[in-house]
Amino acid sequence: MNTDSIEREVSIEAPIERVWEALTSAESIGTWFGVGAPATIDLRVGGVMVINHGDHGTFKTLIVAVDPPRAFSYRWASAYPDELATEENSTLVEFTLRSKGDGTVLRLVESGFDALDIPANRPDASYESHSNGWTGVIAKFAEYVMGNDEQPLVSSS
Amino acid sequence: MSVAEVLTALADPTRRDLLELLSVRGEATATVLAEDLPISRQAVAQHLAVLDGVGLVAGRREGREHHFVVRPDTLDEAARWMSQLAQQWDRRLRTIKQIAETAHRASR
Repeated sequence: MNTDSIEREVSIEAPIERVWEALTSAESIGTWFGVGAPATIDLRVGGVMVINHGDHGTFKTLIVAVDPPRAFSYRWASAYPDELATEENSTLVEFTLRSKGDGTVLRLVESGFDALDIPANRPDASYESHSNGWTGVIAKFAEYVMGNDEQPLVSSS
Repeated sequence: MSVAEVLTALADPTRRDLLELLSVRGEATATVLAEDLPISRQAVAQHLAVLDGVGLVAGRREGREHHFVVRPDTLDEAARWMSQLAQQWDRRLRTIKQIAETAHRASR
């Protein structure tokens, strides 16, 4: 079992080229990964993608794979705003795309948590308290870590 | 403490059972916990040592016995961090889906 990564998958009713565009264009990255303003992206291996996360700071991610329209990966130093991502301070975010019927399956893997410490709590972070007891939390936690659970760990209601 | 250490400790189903049992009991020794689990007192003690090592439980000595309690802050912190991460990715993937599907519908 891999406790080092997060895995997610989503089915999208659009052709793979559309998904690739949504994933990698400066404007849409700013929307899905930032706070709205277009990102700066040098879309090539070794290129830097700069994302504005508002109050959390600006993140300089390092692109490590570009294989349109199938694969896009970058290193992200989520605990270190303004520092360029390196192998030491970051996790690896990997997107893979595959056609399925008329649509596309987009898969995300974020890995490399072994080497990271838990960052200091962010003051605006919201989460539900565990007032319902431990049992459900621990079980969901384990499912989530094992990649068996596609649902959010904690409901956002 | 790294998140991965906590996750690794929690990956074992027996340790999760143990942690849940201990949280219900409040405070207990390995001997008492072993009565409710299908494993030996020695095995319980070993699992408790792993949980202690990553800060998920704390032990105190009373005479010849070690009494253990759950340390909720550690699990809280790891769970909070990971659940935020999960929620953020779910939200981002939904947004990518929305952008791609909207563009696709507009082009037809």
